Amino acid sequence: MPSYKLYYFNGRGRAEVARLIFAAAGEKYEDVRYERDQWPAHKAEMPLGQMPVLEVDGVKLPQSLSIARFLAKQFHLAGKDNFEQAQVDAVVDTIYDCLTKYVPIRFETDEAKKEELTKKFLAEELPKHLQNFETLGKLYGKGGHFFVGKQLTWADLLFFDVGAIILQVDSNAFNNHAWLKQNRAEVEKQPKIAEYLKNRPQTQF
Amino acid sequence: MATYKLYYFNGRGRAEVSRMIFAAAGEKYEDIRYEQDKWPEHKSEMPLGQMPVLEFNGTKLPQSVSIARFLAKQFQLAGKDSFEQAQVDAVVDTINDCVTKYVPIRREEDEAKKEELTKKFLAEELPKHLQNFETLAKLYSKGGHFFVGNQLTWADLLFYDVGAIILQVDSNAFNNHAWLKDNRAEVEKQPKIAEYLKSRPNTPF
Repeated sequence: MPSYKLYYFNGRGRAEVARLIFAAAGEKYEDVRYERDQWPAHKAEMPLGQMPVLEVDGVKLPQSLSIARFLAKQFHLAGKDNFEQAQVDAVVDTIYDCLTKYVPIRFETDEAKKEELTKKFLAEELPKHLQNFETLGKLYGKGGHFFVGKQLTWADLLFFDVGAIILQVDSNAFNNHAWLKQNRAEVEKQPKIAEYLKNRPQTQF
Repeated sequence: MATYKLYYFNGRGRAEVSRMIFAAAGEKYEDIRYEQDKWPEHKSEMPLGQMPVLEFNGTKLPQSVSIARFLAKQFQLAGKDSFEQAQVDAVVDTINDCVTKYVPIRREEDEAKKEELTKKFLAEELPKHLQNFETLAKLYSKGGHFFVGNQLTWADLLFYDVGAIILQVDSNAFNNHAWLKDNRAEVEKQPKIAEYLKSRPNTPF
């Protein structure tokens, strides 16, 4: 039984999908959270000077998506064969493409500029991404509620997490996307996930 | 008998790592290349209107990194167990972080601006990434020439391909990075890869 330690800031951010995977699988880990002022003292301990990092039996692994994919495979939440795993990976990449477009806007410090960029993102960029998510859900979902192969995978958990961020920006974002709404509802009602969502720390990000 | 079709433009670009995986494994596939003027009529055939796309036994898979990871797993070039595969994934993500920083610069149309951004990238950005690559190799390579586990994986093939682009921009880029130079030399001398590099089409990108 490997021992797992997850290192991140005290927030959801790029570590939350890994925490959702642990929760969905009912698996234990040490959830190490560094406050901003503690981080400089630990930066040099991380392979690339960044977090999240997963430590597995003492060996450190950086890169949030690689961490999540590894955990998903350990706990049978990655897809049931190589090709389904590839479909899950493709959905993850497509969700990540959307996030990559949004992150610079979220970090814009000029408030007026941020509001303008956000409006533009919601009107011109987000719809294309949402359409892409539904396209892949249709292609790989086998008619079910989950993105790939009629079972919960980490693609659904990632979309749940990223979807929460999108809804924070625009609570109406999924009004014309019933399948995406339904997908998140299915994730939310998985008993272990419902329990986790109820108990997880409330943090700013 | 599994069938593989790879769809891309007539160039290396985001498809080349997959072509190298097929070559390293000695596996057959249909290498479909659309010239720029042919692409518009095929765009709607691709799930996300983009390429590369892999068609595996008749089902299409988008996203270049997911395609490559799938092929590597099919042909035992992905890492020998789940944790080694995660290490390979982390190296790939770290290489892609560098590519992501460089791509907008490569696409800059204002020649003077492009030259300035490129100089800045080479002086300030690239060194950090090269250091990161060596850090991960030290951590995962078990003292050998390859990034992970003393054997060739698709992380080495990706670094070979991206390395070629870096060297095009600055032929001295690896002068202070003996391990990285050596890693590419090891990839180059694998017989199937040497053969492939000799006979692949010469294209502008």
